[in-house]
Amino acid sequence: MKQETNALALARQWLVDNSSLIGVLVLIAAVCLVGALTTDRFFGCNNFLNVYEQSTDLALVSIGQTLTILTGGIDLSVGSLISLTSCLASGLINGDPDRVLPVAALVLALGTCVGLLNAALVIGLRVHPLIVTLGMGAVLQGVTLLYAMGPVGKVPPNFNFLAYGRIADLPLGATIAAMLCMLVALLLRYLPLGRQIYAVGDDDNAARLTGLPRTRVLMFVYGCSGFGCAATGLYLVARFGVGQPYTGVNYTLASITPVILGGTALSGGKGGVIGTLLGVYLISLVSNLLNFMDVSKHYQLVAQALIIILAVSVYVNRRRAV
Amino acid sequence: MLSLTGISKSFPGVQALSGVNLEVRPGEIHALLGENGAGKSTLIKIIAGAYAADQGEMIFDGAPARWSSPREAKRHGVQVVYQEFALFPQLSVAENIFVGHERRNRFGIVDHARTRHEASEVLARLGASLDPRASVASLSVADQQMVEIARAMVHRVKLLVLDEPTAVIAGREVTLLFDRLRRLRDGGVAVIFISHHLDEVFAVCDRVTVLKDGELVGTSDIAGVNRERLISMMVGRDLGDLFPPRRAAAAGGQPVLRTEALSIAGRVRDVSIELKAGEIVALAGMVGAGRSELALGLFGALPISGGAIFLDGRRFTSMSPARAIELGMGLVTEDRKSNGLAMLLDVAANITGPALDEVTTRLLVDRRLENAIARQEIERYRIACRGPQTSVATMSGGNQQKVIVARWARICRTVLILDEPTRGVDVGAKAEIYRIMRELADRGLAILMISSELTEVVGMADRVIVMRQGRVTGELQAKDATEESIMHLATTGHAA
Amino acid sequence: MTEVTAPPAQGNPDRGLIAALRGLLARFGIFLLPPALLLLGGAISPAFLGASNVSNLLLQIAPLGIVAIGQCFVMIVRGLDLSVASMMATAAVIATGFSGSNGDVASIVAAVLAMAVGVGLINGLLVTKRDVSPFLATLATMILLQGFRFAYTQGAPSGNVPPLFRTLGSGKFDGIPFNFAILLVLATLFWIVLHRSAFGRRVFIVGGNPVTGRLLGIRSDLVTIVCYVLSSCLAGIAGLILSGYVGLVDNWVGQGYELDSIVACVIGGVSLKGGRGAILGALAGAAIIMVIANEVLLFGLPIQIQIIIKGAVIVIAAALYARRT
Repeated sequence: MKQETNALALARQWLVDNSSLIGVLVLIAAVCLVGALTTDRFFGCNNFLNVYEQSTDLALVSIGQTLTILTGGIDLSVGSLISLTSCLASGLINGDPDRVLPVAALVLALGTCVGLLNAALVIGLRVHPLIVTLGMGAVLQGVTLLYAMGPVGKVPPNFNFLAYGRIADLPLGATIAAMLCMLVALLLRYLPLGRQIYAVGDDDNAARLTGLPRTRVLMFVYGCSGFGCAATGLYLVARFGVGQPYTGVNYTLASITPVILGGTALSGGKGGVIGTLLGVYLISLVSNLLNFMDVSKHYQLVAQALIIILAVSVYVNRRRAV
Repeated sequence: MLSLTGISKSFPGVQALSGVNLEVRPGEIHALLGENGAGKSTLIKIIAGAYAADQGEMIFDGAPARWSSPREAKRHGVQVVYQEFALFPQLSVAENIFVGHERRNRFGIVDHARTRHEASEVLARLGASLDPRASVASLSVADQQMVEIARAMVHRVKLLVLDEPTAVIAGREVTLLFDRLRRLRDGGVAVIFISHHLDEVFAVCDRVTVLKDGELVGTSDIAGVNRERLISMMVGRDLGDLFPPRRAAAAGGQPVLRTEALSIAGRVRDVSIELKAGEIVALAGMVGAGRSELALGLFGALPISGGAIFLDGRRFTSMSPARAIELGMGLVTEDRKSNGLAMLLDVAANITGPALDEVTTRLLVDRRLENAIARQEIERYRIACRGPQTSVATMSGGNQQKVIVARWARICRTVLILDEPTRGVDVGAKAEIYRIMRELADRGLAILMISSELTEVVGMADRVIVMRQGRVTGELQAKDATEESIMHLATTGHAA
Repeated sequence: MTEVTAPPAQGNPDRGLIAALRGLLARFGIFLLPPALLLLGGAISPAFLGASNVSNLLLQIAPLGIVAIGQCFVMIVRGLDLSVASMMATAAVIATGFSGSNGDVASIVAAVLAMAVGVGLINGLLVTKRDVSPFLATLATMILLQGFRFAYTQGAPSGNVPPLFRTLGSGKFDGIPFNFAILLVLATLFWIVLHRSAFGRRVFIVGGNPVTGRLLGIRSDLVTIVCYVLSSCLAGIAGLILSGYVGLVDNWVGQGYELDSIVACVIGGVSLKGGRGAILGALAGAAIIMVIANEVLLFGLPIQIQIIIKGAVIVIAAALYARRT
């Protein structure tokens, strides 16, 4: 097969590789268009800032999830970890402003450690991450309930700056999430470890044979996922003022959708965090629009599902060769 | 450079190696021969650090060596290029070459430009002109191998192990490879070369070691052995002629299959060929010429974009594997492990595969009948296994191939297509497969054999069709088919 | 079905015996667990092994077992079905959506099956024709069903389950629960389908590699789609039965069953990569999950600890039975 080295072929390859990113952008544009046509309050700065702000929690957890999925694994313990960290945070701070920083640091460290533990189990027991994190999720939920059976603790009033504060007129939380996303994107591209994440996801066996530091890679991605969960937990406490033991339940499956919408394959080796972030924005936009259109909450779910189906059926993979 | 003494290794139920000695000197190309299952892969994995030997000692570069991981072995200068490439399909060529040892700039971050640049350099030194940005998945198998070898080259290598490097390349690329190997050797590198192609062993190796059934048969200078001696060392018996004799009468009865200006999905264009009963037709050409695509198209696995197939007196402008099977066709694919065999199933299931309806009564599978059929075939083709319920994954390449051939031979009435039927198959099984092919032809089938091994083409074919870039460039009768004439048609598109 | 057997033993006969024993344990060990766990429970509290407790256990195992059968098929063809729990809940909701009398049973069953076939088709088509990952496809249908459910009930489910379902769901005959009998019937039927029929053989071939299947003349896509349809239908049946057991109607009947059924299958030896699995294994997995859940109750442990133990068991069982090579 002749190697085409000209720019045209490379451009074509870029298009194919990034087809999902483009797809998401197209969908975002479509939603905006529909919104602009149906309601006048949708297409405005104020509303977009709203959407931006409301995407923070999903964004924080989905970035970590992207990393684990890139290695061909997954983290199903995110929901419980978010619940745990949010309860611990508000429970330990308990309204004392002096405790805020140390507890926050502790919680972030704890989240990371849980992630590292996940990785250790995956490597040491040689069990698929799906099962390890599923089991760990159950364990974490139990631990959370041991600590608190209902809303627990409280935070000092100015803690909610994390959720409602602004930096340069932009919502603080969402901007932190976006910047974290950029940071991770850079890591993935410019750190040797980042490239190795893709390799491990692409072909774990080849990674083993070529002697790649799989342990280091898995520790990193699951550690990041844990960190992201803790950050989400903190954010949720800031938003609601209190931690709750079931607050994270929906995030497990919810964190996977934007990752896949954004073009990261569940099998690993392909994709990135930028796509995930766009996926998060898309999902938030759709929710927002449906709210505007006064669609009953019940039908919103149907609409969401239909959009997901639509989005993924458009990405037809042509590599249907026999 | 490398010295192995008394190496033994066993897995549950199988003694893979026992008491093997091997010595490879710096500045030599050492061939490692043996049938499939002789223990070569296990030995290589031990040398590479992927396995640990149960017993025995390994001394590398003067110091005792007991690698705890492939990474450690690599650090000491052992590089292995596996037969089943350890490549990352979605990463680029450059990234594959440097994975794990990414090129960085002074800040410690990955320098993509430098990676691409150095990748191009290495590839150029190998004589391969590949775009470092291309994804490995988009490359031909031969190019992928170049990437693998390039990867081994970029590190300080003291011992280079090549596992069946010429299984997927031919002609010019092989010559280039050998040049490079010789240059490495002259530079003091030790090379272990595993291959089933004895011609190549004689062409480039200095010494040879033969393994059989996990044991060492012997080591010798290349000058001290000949082809027959090596074969008998590997197989344990004299093989006689590798290729069965052709029928004296001019081959070819009735035309069984004919194509008219057939085009397949952009890879095959305007091909008009004819296959006759009792004939073995070889389809030759360089890798990428479109031969496999033609085979897949004839079988209905790739869509027909133009022209027609004539079979059984009928005209077809579209085909599917189910229909092809109904029409009495069979296809032995190029890659038996990935799409030829149902790797998780047993011999019986694999043999009855396309003929499942035959052993089905009232929606249920009649296992007794299935096993009986399998036993018959096992006996007929001398397939080495414990019985019809042996899992195919545990069998050697040659025996796996026999299972596939048996599967199709049973039900083919018209055409049997074989794509690289003896790839990765040891000498003993090769001879048997050739014999089976000739028998099937004598039975009245039309056989289409795709092969990149010219000795095989010249030895087996009654007629040779040559392809290049999706088109047929010429046809040669057996008497005119020589390696040169075929290569000429394959590379230039016209007759010598 | 043919599981990969250990390579032949050569030479040392003793080694052969040990290897054979180990092989047996690997293949059948899973079936020793449920009785072992039962005995453990009995050791702690003799009432655990009493007839009424065992029969209650069977009552709880049945719905999970039925769903696990369907999940088994889907996992063998390299898929996952996350929509089963939602399908169960939808079936339960439909069951209460009619008049509540036995006359409606036929219509209820018809409606549920029709819905299940529809969902299964969507899942199957998305996965085969659109190359969507099974995770996402079934996640989407899961949400879709959820939306349908909420819209149908306007968020406030009401109505009664016909008495027939109550009987089937929670009634017993001579100590043996009806729903367990249903499970046995279904399990036998599908054991035959998966391990003895031509269709089942095709399922294994396609699961190993759909391309290989196609080259053997099998319509791989069709086989895959049928598996998803089976899974949804079985989930629907399980939902109807569970609604009979639970009694009240609820939008969340069957919650957690999607992950539980996957875990049951994995523990039972169904490979996440496809091509490998057995009905009996899946059922054993379901039994293990339920017995442990119940046993934990025995210890009088609070629910938090129960959940922790469940999680730990999942990981340990997988480490023992589902190691990646």
